[in-house]
Amino acid sequence: MIRIISPLLRWLIIGLAIAASVGVVALSLWLIQLDKEVRVRFAGVKWVLPAQVYAAPMDLYPGAPITVPELRRELDRLGYRLSDELSGPGTYQIATDELRVDVRAFSFWDGPQKEQRVAFRGDASGLTTIRAMGSDQSIDLMRLDPMLIGSIYPSHSAEDRVLVKLDEVPPLLPATLIQVEDRAFEEHYGVSLKGILRAAVTNAFRDGGRKQGGSTITQQLIKNLFLSNEQSYARKIREALMAVLLERHVSKHDILEAYLNEVWLGQDGNRAIHGFGLASQFYFNKPLNELRPAEVALLVGIAKGPTVYNPRKHPDRVRERRDLVLKLMEEGGLIRADEREVESLSPLGVQNGKAGGVERYPAFIDLVRRQIKGLYREEDLGSEGLRIFTTLDPRAQERLEARIVADLPDLEKGRQLKAGTLQAAGVVTSVEGGEVLAMVGDRNVRFPGFNRALDSQRPIGSLAKPFVYLAALADPGRYNLYSLIADEPIELRMPNGSRWAPKNYDRRLHGTVPLYAALAKSYNLPTVRIGLDVGVDRVHDLLQAAGLQGPPRLPSMFLGAINASPLDVAQIYSTLAANGYLTPLLAIREVMTKEGQPLSRYSFQLKQTLPEGPVYLTNWAMQKVIEFGTARWAVSVLPAGQQYAGKTGTTDDARDSWFAGFGGDRVAVVWVGRDDNKPVGLDGAAGALRIWGRLMRDLNARGLDLTAPAGIVEASIDPQSGLLADNGCAGAISVPFMAGAVPTSYAPCADAGQSGPLDWLKDIFR
Amino acid sequence: MNLFSWPAMGFRLRLAALGALTLAVAGCVSEAPVRTPRTTGQVLVPPAAAKPARPEAPVVQPPLLPPPPVMPPVAVDYPKTLAAAGAAAPVLALARQAQQSRAAGQHDAALGQWQRALRIEPRNAFLWHEIAVTHLKLKHAGQAESAAQKSTSLAHGNLWLEAQNWRLIATARRVLLDVTGAEAATARADSLSAGLATASP
Repeated sequence: MIRIISPLLRWLIIGLAIAASVGVVALSLWLIQLDKEVRVRFAGVKWVLPAQVYAAPMDLYPGAPITVPELRRELDRLGYRLSDELSGPGTYQIATDELRVDVRAFSFWDGPQKEQRVAFRGDASGLTTIRAMGSDQSIDLMRLDPMLIGSIYPSHSAEDRVLVKLDEVPPLLPATLIQVEDRAFEEHYGVSLKGILRAAVTNAFRDGGRKQGGSTITQQLIKNLFLSNEQSYARKIREALMAVLLERHVSKHDILEAYLNEVWLGQDGNRAIHGFGLASQFYFNKPLNELRPAEVALLVGIAKGPTVYNPRKHPDRVRERRDLVLKLMEEGGLIRADEREVESLSPLGVQNGKAGGVERYPAFIDLVRRQIKGLYREEDLGSEGLRIFTTLDPRAQERLEARIVADLPDLEKGRQLKAGTLQAAGVVTSVEGGEVLAMVGDRNVRFPGFNRALDSQRPIGSLAKPFVYLAALADPGRYNLYSLIADEPIELRMPNGSRWAPKNYDRRLHGTVPLYAALAKSYNLPTVRIGLDVGVDRVHDLLQAAGLQGPPRLPSMFLGAINASPLDVAQIYSTLAANGYLTPLLAIREVMTKEGQPLSRYSFQLKQTLPEGPVYLTNWAMQKVIEFGTARWAVSVLPAGQQYAGKTGTTDDARDSWFAGFGGDRVAVVWVGRDDNKPVGLDGAAGALRIWGRLMRDLNARGLDLTAPAGIVEASIDPQSGLLADNGCAGAISVPFMAGAVPTSYAPCADAGQSGPLDWLKDIFR
Repeated sequence: MNLFSWPAMGFRLRLAALGALTLAVAGCVSEAPVRTPRTTGQVLVPPAAAKPARPEAPVVQPPLLPPPPVMPPVAVDYPKTLAAAGAAAPVLALARQAQQSRAAGQHDAALGQWQRALRIEPRNAFLWHEIAVTHLKLKHAGQAESAAQKSTSLAHGNLWLEAQNWRLIATARRVLLDVTGAEAATARADSLSAGLATASP
């Protein structure tokens, strides 16, 4: 027989044998290399874990100014579900006289708060009692879990995810995944011949349409983690081999957990939604462990192809897919038939896009991103899964948004402007502690584009004036609130040779006006007169001390030829509101690791930079702006009996309409204008003030604490002359002065020294 | 006596002022209180040198006028704690937490708790004082001084608390090596304390 074989064939066989040996050796080497690659790369898998950004948690205590309906609103915002009885964390129930809530557990920076069932009662002014259910124990103070408001991921990657552990997800999720994607998962070695055969047969008998994949969960994970999307046999073989190798090194548990976190489940603009943890928030605005079977079915269903099965775009298609998954769940014994029936009837339950709690507040997140940038490296922000706890107050934010959305169209109608002409921005901060509570940078409040609250640098107009008057009032030997100032024309020659002749806004002259009234009525000429007298440098220094970066040193700054953003304005007005104490505005409170360990806390910084007494006097004059000055319209919307301070701002030809002001606990700044900088025909009072006044009302902003600081005394003054009054003067008023600077001469109306003690007493009961 | 403007004052305020006047007459005090006239309505704080009213002192009753209101005793016994100053239950709960943190040496946690309390009562001078104390423990002397100043700004004439604040400022200034400033602060605290000692019953 051997002889029959020709030499040619013999050489062929030898050649083949050598080739096969070389092939085996090469294959072995390749496998060894592939094995190493799988091990190294899987061990080195570093999840892209963007920092998660949270709003401030709502503090709840008896006496908190939160009504029960407001609390309900907050629960809805947090994705709590109304139900007939409490059925696990994230549910609430309305009983006849109380609201019962199963409050979710949460790891706060100062320790965990356990899940607890709590009953709340309240009245029109807020919460009255908080009681732990199942006991009579009343609760002094607790928090709701904070709202997840977005993520910060590095610019080069737009993957977003919230990491979950397999042991912490509801068991129904992995079980459904296995049932739908890879029934032999627990048995196979990475590839499933049965699966491949089934897919091959199915595909062979089907023309076009979607092909069935025979990939195991392990293969899919390999593909997602290490391989391209290319459809080729070479890639398929590589994928299968790597899957087998991975199974040799990694447990089924870890493979499944990795899959849960890796799989792509949706797209939000540039942002890719990875993993079930984030997908649950993205679609349902609640954590994974609160999902109903139908919701689990939906998420597992769309894993097949989140573009084709986008529940927001193709609800019918997704519903069909979800119901199919529910059927498979029943077949696999994961749910009962009656359960499937109920679940199939339920709506998809997908929250409406950006209203769903993620990426809702683009302007504020923008501020957080800028403030955090200086504190952490970009790669850490994108990969460490840091939890950033911010100062955002969702209630304040909602009210600011609602005002801008509702009031801009009214302002446009009132001025017969085309709808959409005006733009607006607003900022709300806390008076003490300098926390940014709300921010809007565009009238389209969800639009993540140009952030006017931070980046729009506009002349602030008369918003600068209080600092001119502060400079004067800080010189009590020469100025007090009733100093008489001449409202007369002024003309200045500027260093560049040009002439500057400011005019009053109403183009009129008002004779001699008391200092405080010049501010209240926002007269330009007295302001410039005072400014020139105290000096450009003094006003410049005060603005800087209040927190404004680099104001100019020109007389035109007295009238607000200073470019600043709404946030800058909020900063300097905060310093006035806080009695002259500067606290740099902060958007971040704490940062924790993804495991819930505290990393850093950002305390506000405090420094007295403006003199307290003169600030008190300036704020007194700013109350008059609202009482009877340019902003008196606000009296019609603000709560009666409360005092607020503020200032209108208008720039040349009414291009910018500003209002900035404060009460005892809130500072708010509103800007209205046009992006093309054309006149809007609105001064501060006709435009921004309308939004500000209603906003302060909606915020339930407290009135000012009118307690005078040390060094201030009140005296009875004759308003005509600004001199001391006594019983001889009708219409005398009480005015604060710096101690030691009370006028010493009596007004013409006074019969000083003539009155006896009995007149006093009569006065008391008059 | 020109420091008040009667028409601008509310009726309650006038009553309070009348009471103060009566007491001042009774106690032979010639100086009317000048601090915080616009919000006085509850307790009038006399200057440190004021002597407490003697109940047996004759009170001048003007004819044909309603009897003067019953006034609380002059408060020289300033509140010395958060609880005495009437802080709300959640603030006291946080104060307990903060004190536990302080006892455990966890001053940063304590600072966070005091600041959380401050969000509930932002103008509570005692909270600002505690924040100052905590900053000092954390060796933030500058912040300690600022917070103590703020506490004094909001103390509404609680001279005891003001004295505490000035002592704390003195310590903070010593940390900052500002010897003259520290001496000035100590002197301020001492004079306040001396005034309190003479004024106490």
